[in-house]
Amino acid sequence: MIKGYFYLPNSSRVQEAYARLSDEHIAIYAKDECVFESTQTALNVAAHLPGQASELTFADGARFVPHDVAYRWPFQQRKSALLARLESNLALILCALVATPVLLYALLFKLVPGIAVTAVQAMPDTVVEQMGQQSMVLIERTVLSPSELSAQEQQAVFTLWHDTVSQLGLSAEKYRIDVYRSDHFGANAFALPHGQVVVTDELARRLADHPEALRAILLHEIGHVERMHSVRLASQAAVASIAIAMLVGDMDIVAEVVLGSGSALMDLQFSQNMEWEADNYALMQLERLGYSGEDFAQALESLVPLDEEQSQSWLKYLSTHPSLQERIEHARSHTTP
Amino acid sequence: MDSTSTPSAAEPGSQIAPSQLQFTGNAKEYFGIWIVNILLTLLTLGIYSAWATVRTKQYFYGHTVLDGHRFDYLATPIQILKGRLLAVGLFVIYSVVSGYFPLVGALLALALALLVPWMINQGLKFSMRMTRYRNIRFAFKGNFGEAMVNFVVLPFFSIFTLYLLMPWVLKRIDAYIHSNIRYGDKPVHVQLQGKAYYKAALLVVLLGILMLVALGIVLSLVTGVGMNPDDIGSSQFVLVLIVPLYLFVISALQGIYQAQIRNHILNNAQIEDVAEFKSNLQPQRYALILATNAAAIVLTAGLAFPWAKVRKVKALAGATQVVLLPGADQVLDNAQQADSSFAEEAANVFDVDISLT
Repeated sequence: MIKGYFYLPNSSRVQEAYARLSDEHIAIYAKDECVFESTQTALNVAAHLPGQASELTFADGARFVPHDVAYRWPFQQRKSALLARLESNLALILCALVATPVLLYALLFKLVPGIAVTAVQAMPDTVVEQMGQQSMVLIERTVLSPSELSAQEQQAVFTLWHDTVSQLGLSAEKYRIDVYRSDHFGANAFALPHGQVVVTDELARRLADHPEALRAILLHEIGHVERMHSVRLASQAAVASIAIAMLVGDMDIVAEVVLGSGSALMDLQFSQNMEWEADNYALMQLERLGYSGEDFAQALESLVPLDEEQSQSWLKYLSTHPSLQERIEHARSHTTP
Repeated sequence: MDSTSTPSAAEPGSQIAPSQLQFTGNAKEYFGIWIVNILLTLLTLGIYSAWATVRTKQYFYGHTVLDGHRFDYLATPIQILKGRLLAVGLFVIYSVVSGYFPLVGALLALALALLVPWMINQGLKFSMRMTRYRNIRFAFKGNFGEAMVNFVVLPFFSIFTLYLLMPWVLKRIDAYIHSNIRYGDKPVHVQLQGKAYYKAALLVVLLGILMLVALGIVLSLVTGVGMNPDDIGSSQFVLVLIVPLYLFVISALQGIYQAQIRNHILNNAQIEDVAEFKSNLQPQRYALILATNAAAIVLTAGLAFPWAKVRKVKALAGATQVVLLPGADQVLDNAQQADSSFAEEAANVFDVDISLT
């Protein structure tokens, strides 16, 4: 005889009752009167949860909940009990504590980048083209304004660019350059995924007397395009956010913070590696074209005064670009292989 | 055949003694559930998260006991999984499009803003329908227009009032949510006052400024007067200190605000003929709980999360009493019959939990 509450279907009425089990049947009694009878197959038993009584739900929606929270029915499914046993198994909990960070690392730093790289290889050219053009429209509208350089100054940049691209044997149709004024970017250059490179007035002016340094920077940007870095970053971000959306279902704030910072770190590490890749591309091509890595070192050195605040900062490891000093040293050491 | 659960309900009109809401779970049990949930979720690349959600909710609902009866969480993992796949699908489309086609992505973001009120309503509807007390389910009967006004339009316009309108908007949002809840066939009534929201907001803003000033003084004392930019070691030290301190202060302020608003809502809400509520959550005590919870979670790299969650839920339950009115035994659930009809089945395809978090 099991004491408990009997809940009537679709109503808030409750009765103090007791259940009687026989071989195949279960009967519910309230005030010594049988109020309900059911076969054991026509009812549902709730999953095992620690500290909670196992309730019975009958076909019409009536329920019986034992008072004893530890009570378990003899005909209860074994499957749901397994989970409850796992959750209270100390050895398993300790294993989970060790395995969780390892799994998180494998997922974020191995699986996600792996899928992203595969996605990039399968990316049709039209998507890359669209991605570049649409990004350019957005950037142009928001942070760029028409160049204020003289036609002569601009022509110098264009000539240098066309020489470099044709020397490398790259498609002049795909690789184009534009000069813009930008307060947002300062002295800077960046590449868009479809082969468009943007140089700011300030950078062009600063390097007007050092065309070989500007060439080195342009090669670095071409390196980003050739290695499809923007596309890789976008795939990376998309795959990571999908993975996180799938995972945070029930891991609450903690997981969100851990996963969020994990993927941010992953992005940063990824883009740091990309800078090195682009540097190496530039150095390789410089050598191939008969120039020296010293050009690149000089170009970087001319940017040093701008970077002073940043290179001193404690955020060095979190910065997307490797420190300038390291890059200069790398470029110099590349000249004497 | 009479109900035996609420003897006091037999004497209508007399002062009925309130029942204390109880939380009977404990951190040790929940820790096991939590860590196994995380492990299985990672091993199944996120699929298990639907089962994890159900198990966690069943644990917390089932351990919330009022007048000897527990609450039930009724959603099945498949419902949650369907909803999550739908949401993840939308999210994938959005993140892929905005990553590769930024212009289309910007347009899509605008379109999603139109979807927000619908998603909020569906989420509330689902979580209410999946909550049961004594064989009666809760329900939510909001509509798109009101949700649009309260969740999108008014918050957007309050920006132009330098957020001075924000407490009033928050009051509207809470009123919209609570007055559209039903318990079976019984509606919920709330009478909220903007004054309470402004009072809470003002207190939090003042305390926030005070704490910022105090933090500034403490930090400058710790690192020596006048921060030396060359002294990289000390600035790193400050950074290590600032993040936990920031979390600590934010959680404390949150606690002060939430406690006041919760008291205000519950003390002014009732389920028609069924129940009245009393909430006496002390702001300073709740602030301390939330702040120390945040600190414990940070210091243990997340391991204290189950303990912190159980502690918070216990505090909330402990501060809540419910006065069960004589009508509490006469509630009928007419929604449940409609459940079996074909039309409802068809509607169920989209009636899934679509909240991502």
